[in-house]
Amino acid sequence: MSSIRLLPDRVANQIAAGEVVERPAAVAKELIENSLDAGASRIEIEYRNGGKSYLRVEDDGHGMTADEALLSLERHATSKIREADDLQRITSFGFRGEALPSIASVSRFVMRTRVRGAEGGTEIFVNGGKMIHQKDCGMPEGTSIEVARLFNSVPARRKFLRTDATETAHLCRWARLYAMAHPETAFTLLENGRTIFRSPTCVDLRERLREIFGSGFAEGLIEIESESDDLSLSGLIGKPGVGRSTRQEMIFMVNNRPVDSKALSFALIEAYHTYVPKGRFPPAFLFLRMNPAAVDVNAHPTKREVRFREEGKLRAFVIRSVNDRLREVAANAGFSEAHTPVTSSSTDGSTPAPGFAVPQIDPSLLPNVGGADSKTGGAGEPTGQSFEIPVPEYSLNDEAPSTPSSDGPEGAAGDRDDLTSSWRFLAKLSGDLALFRTTDGLVLMHCRAAVERIRFEDTEEAFAEEASRDGQRLLLPIPLELDSFGSEVLQSHLPSLEKLGFSVEEFGRNFHRIEAAPSWLEPGDAELFLRDLIASAKERGGVAGKALSKDEFIRMLASRESLTGGGFEESEIISLANRLLRCRNPLTCPQGRPTYLEYGHREWENRFGRRF
Amino acid sequence: MKFKINRDHFANGLQLVTSVVGARKTMQILQNVLIEASEGKVSLITTNLDLGVRCSVKADVSEPGSITLPVRELGSIVRQLAGMEVSVECPEGNRATISTRGSLFHIMGIDSKEFPPLPALDNLSQHDLSRDELTQMLRNVSYAQSVNEERYMLRGVYFSFAEGKLTMVATDGRRLAVTERALQIQEGSDGDFILPANTVSELEKLPSLGDTVKVSFNERQVAFEMRIPDDPNATDDEQSITGKGFVDSIYLVSKVVEGRYPNYRQVIPTETFEQSEVERELLQECILRAALVSDEKVSFSIKPGELEITGQSSLGDAKETMAIEYKGPEVTVSFNPIFFCDPLKALSKDKVTLEFRDEISPGIFRTGAGKQDDPITFLCVIMPIRSD
Repeated sequence: MSSIRLLPDRVANQIAAGEVVERPAAVAKELIENSLDAGASRIEIEYRNGGKSYLRVEDDGHGMTADEALLSLERHATSKIREADDLQRITSFGFRGEALPSIASVSRFVMRTRVRGAEGGTEIFVNGGKMIHQKDCGMPEGTSIEVARLFNSVPARRKFLRTDATETAHLCRWARLYAMAHPETAFTLLENGRTIFRSPTCVDLRERLREIFGSGFAEGLIEIESESDDLSLSGLIGKPGVGRSTRQEMIFMVNNRPVDSKALSFALIEAYHTYVPKGRFPPAFLFLRMNPAAVDVNAHPTKREVRFREEGKLRAFVIRSVNDRLREVAANAGFSEAHTPVTSSSTDGSTPAPGFAVPQIDPSLLPNVGGADSKTGGAGEPTGQSFEIPVPEYSLNDEAPSTPSSDGPEGAAGDRDDLTSSWRFLAKLSGDLALFRTTDGLVLMHCRAAVERIRFEDTEEAFAEEASRDGQRLLLPIPLELDSFGSEVLQSHLPSLEKLGFSVEEFGRNFHRIEAAPSWLEPGDAELFLRDLIASAKERGGVAGKALSKDEFIRMLASRESLTGGGFEESEIISLANRLLRCRNPLTCPQGRPTYLEYGHREWENRFGRRF
Repeated sequence: MKFKINRDHFANGLQLVTSVVGARKTMQILQNVLIEASEGKVSLITTNLDLGVRCSVKADVSEPGSITLPVRELGSIVRQLAGMEVSVECPEGNRATISTRGSLFHIMGIDSKEFPPLPALDNLSQHDLSRDELTQMLRNVSYAQSVNEERYMLRGVYFSFAEGKLTMVATDGRRLAVTERALQIQEGSDGDFILPANTVSELEKLPSLGDTVKVSFNERQVAFEMRIPDDPNATDDEQSITGKGFVDSIYLVSKVVEGRYPNYRQVIPTETFEQSEVERELLQECILRAALVSDEKVSFSIKPGELEITGQSSLGDAKETMAIEYKGPEVTVSFNPIFFCDPLKALSKDKVTLEFRDEISPGIFRTGAGKQDDPITFLCVIMPIRSD
């Protein structure tokens, strides 16, 4: 039997390193956070081989004195908090005092630091946790930390590192995240002396985003700004219809700290319900500000996960804010979106990092546009007066402009009629596509998607008016056994389910019988429907299923009448466009796919590489 | 193998057995028809392992033998041949020669030994039924079968031979159709089974030949055999026209749906309500018209002397009134019109008896009193649509 003994500091640090320092990107994260906490206005990050062999983070922050520098390498030494209560009001990134000693214990670690106004700086060299030397050195104000040969003292961990490319991707991701969170700080990311991105101090997030991800990316996004009590939300979110296949671009910053939060990500997805296809994820850069006391960041050593004190309230706030904004955008759809004009964008920032796709238009769409002429037999270039010819026959204003949709903002609806007339029908393309000219470009509308959206909103309205739906009573009631949580969810949804036409009787503990189901639902599917509903309500925290199920239901009703083929006539298309633009959300079909795509002149300029 | 056969007879036979063959091409042999030539007839057999069918067609066989050939392709070929007399020959190997005046086909087949034999039924209960009655009873209920994958036991028609009667039941959970007929049941030959929906539709498609159908079943399989009557007085030509060339018998063997059929008796209300007798076709027309406005729900208001059927939707509303004999209280109840029209369409009686009680109780209608001249009774229970 071995006896129990206290571990030496070096071993303890190496163990701690396992939690905090899992990969080079984590080292970079800790060091960048330190720099930001030190009030740096400029941060430079350089790495080699994905950061495995070399990583340097340099800033112009307030620096440390020689004694402080030494002390900083001791465990639980920090300038950021003094007592446990400080955790309640933490505004700095770090506070554990673990990062530096942990990193120093598993690498070849060189720290140079000079306090503002001091004569010279200090250099400390630690190798695998062993102090090699401390000496004075000359350097600019600030701190520079070099971490070389990461995990040299723990070969076992080395084996868990991935390829250079993977580690690079992680490192870039973190660097970008922090760069985005702090537009006021200049960031430079270098690989082997080659610039990955360089972003001087920026005025706002959009500009920073353009610097880092390229201008095309930033244009797919819209600003969001919202505030309530002690919560505030700002940032950029994807336009309706813009979806990604992964959650990679759903980024949340809580008090400027990047976090992974299931609650927030579900809230965002839910807010985008019907704005983005199911299974796709909206890109978003959301900055949440709240009282530091309302969030517990001390839940995880890397502080990647946080706990919210009032998660429900936060979720509701995010959903409401995003939803309002999307609705607003959708209501104004068709106006040329008020893009901030692109000043000639810097090209060095446009290299996409692995894992970040810069959205591009499917090039196959473009020949279609050109081909329109040959199909319609119209002669002439796709510019010029020849466009006006087909227009006057079909007055775009033939519908009375006096019926704005009920929910739409009054002013917007009035303006929208002008807008409608700004869509000029050009041609019918194959595949139910129609081509329009707008004041600043071309619009391709998918007629069937448009019909689906119009019908969806019609049905929705009809549904809102009708008090309740019919329930087909069942001959053989369907037993439904649930766990206790499921029963609770079911019970809380009963009133709205009854409105849909369900009738569910409690039949003992956690045991129910479906006595009636909506008439459009096969009795055999009723159980599945309810179970799905409960599962999704559970996932979203037991509250949101209500709206969801109704939407789902309306969507089913709306899509039930299949569209007979045969295509659309010109006049039909024009009235369709009119009605579509009156919809509350004309941008996407009920499934969240786009109803129309707009190609502005800027797009053409970019593609032709000329200014018109 | 060598035989000569009338083109239309051959085509009829092939058509009869083709529908069994599945579209899934997992086993090539199941896409083929087994052709067995013996004295004076050719048997055609297909199976999809759940359901098999066999028929025999009159032919002039000069050399008995067997082969399997792709049934769909063979059917198309035979149907389009120009000559009436088709000779089929299979000299050696698995290649068949089909020839008629001016046409010659060589078709590759598969050895008949590879063809899965139709299951032999043992431990049987057997019953003889009138073919007309069997098809009428099936028609009475088959529309009510469930189409839902989840509740597989409801995807079929339940047959029960017990208590001196044959009962057939189908339900999809919202309506139930039951039809019964008195039948002498030998001791030990009672029992029940669920006939799968596919088999039901095959059975309904069989040509109207012969008078009786022999039903034999055990707990796993059921077989229906339709004997084709030989009319010794008929000339060959007459026989060809009436019998479409079929001889011997048409035999259909199927697996049954495993599982227990729900206790349908408990959903049939035991007490009777005030009844009213209405003209079947008139009722059907009224409902169909009302459903033009609202195809999901029509309301029935029954009052002394009058039945009012109304449909209402965003399109507008419709009201149909028909005079009836009724003395009970006024009741208004809503139903899915399809649930009413399906049985009305399937029935052959002129009058049906309606029973409505209140807006949450099922609606019932029946025909037939089970008398001597009218042995089939029918009952349909339809759950209402409640809007509140």
